[in-house]
Amino acid sequence: MDDRLEKALEFSNYMITLNNQRSLIHEKFLENCIHYVNGGKFNINRDLINFCHTLVQNNQPSAILLDENNTPIEIEELQEFLDDILNIYSTNTNAYLVKFNEAKKNKSIEGILDI
Amino acid sequence: MTLKKDDRGVLLFALNNGEIDYVKQAIFCAKKVKEHLNLPVALVTDSADYLIDKFPFCKKYIDIVIETNDETPTLQKRNFLDGIYTIKKLLWKNHSRPDCYELTPFNETIVLDVDYILGNNSLLNCFKTNEEFLIYKTPTDIAKTVRNKQSFEKISDRSIDMWWATGFYFKKSPLMEMYFNLVKHIKDNWHYYRLIYQIPNTNYRNDFSFSIAIHILRGFQKSSWPAQMPGNMYMSTDADMIHKIDNNKITFITDYNHNGSYLGVSIEDSNVHIMNKFSLGRMIDKEFENE
Repeated sequence: MDDRLEKALEFSNYMITLNNQRSLIHEKFLENCIHYVNGGKFNINRDLINFCHTLVQNNQPSAILLDENNTPIEIEELQEFLDDILNIYSTNTNAYLVKFNEAKKNKSIEGILDI
Repeated sequence: MTLKKDDRGVLLFALNNGEIDYVKQAIFCAKKVKEHLNLPVALVTDSADYLIDKFPFCKKYIDIVIETNDETPTLQKRNFLDGIYTIKKLLWKNHSRPDCYELTPFNETIVLDVDYILGNNSLLNCFKTNEEFLIYKTPTDIAKTVRNKQSFEKISDRSIDMWWATGFYFKKSPLMEMYFNLVKHIKDNWHYYRLIYQIPNTNYRNDFSFSIAIHILRGFQKSSWPAQMPGNMYMSTDADMIHKIDNNKITFITDYNHNGSYLGVSIEDSNVHIMNKFSLGRMIDKEFENE
């Protein structure tokens, strides 16, 4: 096989592996951003954080939030809830960054898979 | 072990078929349950003597053994792959699962397939919801970026949504008793229901009967009931091989287009359904060397 093609195909295999691992790391991030409180299930994302922040800024101590199943959930301590979701989001984005960079810096399939 | 009425726990089923050691898989699954959930484990099996004789250390992980006779009415068989180059047609005993409502010693129960390997504690969130029933709906393929979308979403090409009996949670309640009675009715009249729901395969499959029962109970409509299990269910196929299990990290060699193109996949701190029972069995043998 032509060396140029062989090298390109080798790199292609590396890219497939990297792409799949990145996808799994992202899935893990999303999974870790789910928060259960008062019987409700919340996906922590920028929308939820901003909405809660707006409510707190408007001096609302509590709120009714719709969870992922559209169930209304009463949050009595909104500031505490906001602190919790911010903390979870920050922790998970940090973990995501670390994993993402680990995958990126490895230039071999063995390195990406850590085997 | 004395149980209180409000006890929570995990229920497993292991019905050996002569070639696949589901009992061994159940012990490994229970070990992971203890590690991540720290809940009592009950095992329903038709091989209780084998369990105690072959795996005396099982008492560390399995708290309650419930003996059952497999009542599979016909000897149904299915193909089991061990990678893409080995295929075996073996007995498939799966008729006890709908009896979980009567069999469970717990008030709140998580039922898991024994080839569902836990890597985190996300299932503890089952107890934080107000739901009576949670079940997996959409699994994540471990080779999702390269593998063609498989028949993970519907029970057949033109039929209803698929729900996965691989893992579910229920509280004892009149609704759940009715649900499992309906599942048993569907199982008893399987060939009628599989024709109605356009399922070509004649074998009884719990995923299908659970999905049909959900479809009926929610009035044959789309609905927000039931809610989904917490966390992701990652899915490998029986064409995939496990390369290594290292604590909470599993490395696979996955076949993604059935022509010998393989992809390495590494997955960590995740709950994974491992369909290649032979590959899992070999890895468990290594894990049990130190027991």
